[in-house]
Amino acid sequence: MKHFGANKLDDGVIQAELCIGCGACVDLCPYFRSYRGKTAYLFPCTREEGRCFAYCPKVEVDPDALSRFLFAKPYNGDPLGAWRSIHIARAGARVKRQPFQSGGTVSTLMYFALRSRRIQGAILTGREGLLPVPKLVTRSAEVWRHGLSKYAAAPTLAAMNRAVAAGYEDLGVVATPCQATAVAQMRMNPLQNPSFRDPTALVIGLFCTWALDFRKFEAFLAERVPLRDIVKVDIPPPPASVLEVYLPEGKRTFPLDEIRPLVPNTCGYCLDMTSEFADISVGVLEGRPDLNTLIVRTERGEEIVREAGRQEYLVMEDMPAENREHLEWAAGNKKQRGVRCCTEAGRLNGEAGTACLRLNGEVIERILKNEKNGKESSCHI
Amino acid sequence: MSYLIDEGKNVQHLLMGNEAIVRGALEAGINVAAGYPGTPSSEIIESFSKVAKERNLYVEWSTNEKVATEVAAAASFAGLRSLCVMKQNGVNVASDFLLHLASSGTRGGMLLVSCDDPGALSSVNEGESRLFAKLLEIPLLEPGDFQEAKDIIPWAFDLSERIRNIVMIRSVTRLSHASGNVRFGPLPGTAAHASFTYSGPLLDPDTGPVISMILAAPELQHGPQQEKLKKAAEIFETCPFNTYTGPEAPELLIITSSACSLYSREAVSILGLEERVGILKLATTWPLPQRLLKRHLAAAPKILFVEEVAPTLEDHVKVVAAEAGAEIGVKTFFGKKSGHLPSVGELNPDLVLAALSRICALPYESAPAAFSGAVKALAAQYAPPRGMTFCPGCPHRASYWSIHNALQLDGRNGFVCGDIGCYVMGTLPAGFSTAKTLHAMGSGSGIASGFGKLKQFGMDQPVLSVCGDSTFFHAAMPALTNAIHQRSPFTMVLLDNRGTAMTGFQPHPGSLTNVLGDTVPALDMEKICRAMGAKVEVSDPFDLEKTRQKLNHLVEYAEGAKVLILRQACALSPERRGKKKYEVTVDESRCRGEDCGCNRICTRIFGCPGLIWDREKKVSHVDEIICAGCGVCADICPAGAIIRKEIA
Repeated sequence: MKHFGANKLDDGVIQAELCIGCGACVDLCPYFRSYRGKTAYLFPCTREEGRCFAYCPKVEVDPDALSRFLFAKPYNGDPLGAWRSIHIARAGARVKRQPFQSGGTVSTLMYFALRSRRIQGAILTGREGLLPVPKLVTRSAEVWRHGLSKYAAAPTLAAMNRAVAAGYEDLGVVATPCQATAVAQMRMNPLQNPSFRDPTALVIGLFCTWALDFRKFEAFLAERVPLRDIVKVDIPPPPASVLEVYLPEGKRTFPLDEIRPLVPNTCGYCLDMTSEFADISVGVLEGRPDLNTLIVRTERGEEIVREAGRQEYLVMEDMPAENREHLEWAAGNKKQRGVRCCTEAGRLNGEAGTACLRLNGEVIERILKNEKNGKESSCHI
Repeated sequence: MSYLIDEGKNVQHLLMGNEAIVRGALEAGINVAAGYPGTPSSEIIESFSKVAKERNLYVEWSTNEKVATEVAAAASFAGLRSLCVMKQNGVNVASDFLLHLASSGTRGGMLLVSCDDPGALSSVNEGESRLFAKLLEIPLLEPGDFQEAKDIIPWAFDLSERIRNIVMIRSVTRLSHASGNVRFGPLPGTAAHASFTYSGPLLDPDTGPVISMILAAPELQHGPQQEKLKKAAEIFETCPFNTYTGPEAPELLIITSSACSLYSREAVSILGLEERVGILKLATTWPLPQRLLKRHLAAAPKILFVEEVAPTLEDHVKVVAAEAGAEIGVKTFFGKKSGHLPSVGELNPDLVLAALSRICALPYESAPAAFSGAVKALAAQYAPPRGMTFCPGCPHRASYWSIHNALQLDGRNGFVCGDIGCYVMGTLPAGFSTAKTLHAMGSGSGIASGFGKLKQFGMDQPVLSVCGDSTFFHAAMPALTNAIHQRSPFTMVLLDNRGTAMTGFQPHPGSLTNVLGDTVPALDMEKICRAMGAKVEVSDPFDLEKTRQKLNHLVEYAEGAKVLILRQACALSPERRGKKKYEVTVDESRCRGEDCGCNRICTRIFGCPGLIWDREKKVSHVDEIICAGCGVCADICPAGAIIRKEIA
């Protein structure tokens, strides 16, 4: 596939407001920096090809190539992507109760991966105030400090780029679907650098329907609550449909309909709810806020999940069929919406260098004809 | 002892035009000189300061040109001879006071020296100051060569005292900055006594108060002012500096002034037109000597005006010709309006040659086409195009780097309102094209103050201004005052490089010593800004990350006017010149060159002339000869390939 350089990335993604600020292009070079949730292109780079463009999950993504690379099979548009097994999971007896979200499966797996030296460091997302801040964590005990959902888009992969530049190998990454896509593209060594080595040993993907634009989110809250006093922010699983802001004097809730305008347009172009290009994907289990859904996709994902279970870090059981059907329905909805949105914007298989996505006609048809899903007419979130 | 006060009889010295003006003033017994630095005028005050002690002069660099004119006027009111000096833009600044001064009149001889810059070689524009003489109703003299630049000054002082008003002298870059032989005259004694007399009747020019306000009726003050001008015009009829060379009845009469008279002489000589073309070189260009002009106009059917920049002589002489039409007949005029000479930029002998050859139907080629072509081709080969840029080690490059990055990170299309100083290059790639407006001294902050108030119309772009330390005192303080009072939320970045750097490091009110070398109270900009009520931060621009952080913080802080003082001395200042803080080298093995991950950010974007791109090896080098050792590039390099070692 043809790759382009930074100027094209600026035109086609940043200026087009398609950038989600994942950090994949940040800190590889002096040209891209992340600041308060946004990626800035500081100076024009004249290179015709750059890692920035090749890694970006918002332009020229080829799911089929990624699927063949990671899973040795073609991309067929299934709602949950390629998987080996699907479970219900939560932290096991070896893990003390920690302030994690839901079942604590992600933190537990990263904790276990660090303790068992499967990874040298974990790329996680902490926060300073409301601002999500990417972090390289090398001590297992520190994992627990990064366990809560941030809701705002985060430049997590900038920390990964910095860790790679500093010589770290065998990294673990906790990634949203867009970030997991970027990591998968990095792992393919797209510019065929002869000294390249896959820097990851474990990619845990998160389920995601959308993220919030940090700056808009902060401004929204600043008008309504004292920012400094915020203890925690939460969006409980459906059917709650609210954002909860925890303050010392109690909890305030805001209807999600008020929050949705803070979602960047680019989330509408996304087909991936379950981080299909990760080793393992984790999300909440609907109706059970104390449990996670866990999808195992790769061999190395399978190995760590199996060991974490055997050593009682993780407790798992099979997922009931009705839960899986509901998950497929939700993920399929996102796929259909993403395909429509990309098509409307002319960014599905469009002009070289500006297309978000490349899919063959058969796959597009499969996604759009998925009978389980309703007929959403537009790409609005 | 300076050669400027050489008292040898009949000695000659090679003097710059500006030095010739100074020597002329010394021969006229000048007592007080004040100015504000500005190319091409700056050597005048500097030369006075060098002989101030021996000649019992008071010399100062004033806060701005208006104050300089007021300081010189006070000396005149107290009976002394004085002079104020500035570049053409400075006359705009001084013009408010000048209009009043022309109305009140002067006592001791007083001159306004304006050094204009045709072609804007060292200026933001090529504004023409001569038109002020007409507006202010004061006499204007333009010396034509170096000897005249000296000789005309005592004559001008006498004129000022005869008509009791200020006299304007106009020089241009090619006179002020070129040099020629000047034969010296005697220097008077240095005794002088100042006293301001004000006890006489209200409108008595010699003994009453000096007041410009029209107290009774225009005819009592404005009338006498115009009488002074008429008197000057009469004196101009026999001014020894108006000269004519050529036949009695030339085919073509060139009317010219200043350096253009030299170009005219050269062109006539090269074409061998001495028998056909006459040159009337006027030194007294406002008001015009009407009888002298009529005499010359009557003798020639065709007239060519050779002058820089505006068609000033051309317009004024045409009025004379129209009024005298019945006596002198119909003339054919050539000049800027006919398109024979360009209406912008400097003139030169070639341009005059071209005009003359057209008018006189003489084939002339300044250089054979083949030769010109070869020169161009060779120049392109050996002299690659180079943009203007900051010196190695210049704090402005580092400042703009941080400002640019802060605005890009902010991501709201913020911009900088530029101002006057070396940092005008903020509009160019040298300053990462960060400055988006550029006008007069202090205007950046005034414009920023205005932009800051446009939020009610939906404008949410962050607004910054840049302002040098000298510019701050000169004209930016009123703008900042306005912004604070009107709660305009902009960020003023004070580029404090400790001197009036662009014009050659003259002191300003923030300096510890004045032009005479005396220790003086230095005004503290930080304290001033705080006292005015601005939120103030200070940073070293060489600390890129800290500076960037402070900028982002200030830009995000929405309330009112904010000031960031970036303190770092100019690389050419006495404090830093020749003293390297760091030895800077490149570790070639780590340099990423053009690879993904750098793409020559140091030589392609940062652009310090101390960094060189080695095309063969594809790595960067440091030019140790011109590197100023600031070490900033080590923080630019993403690979840690640029290494700085502190020099003990």
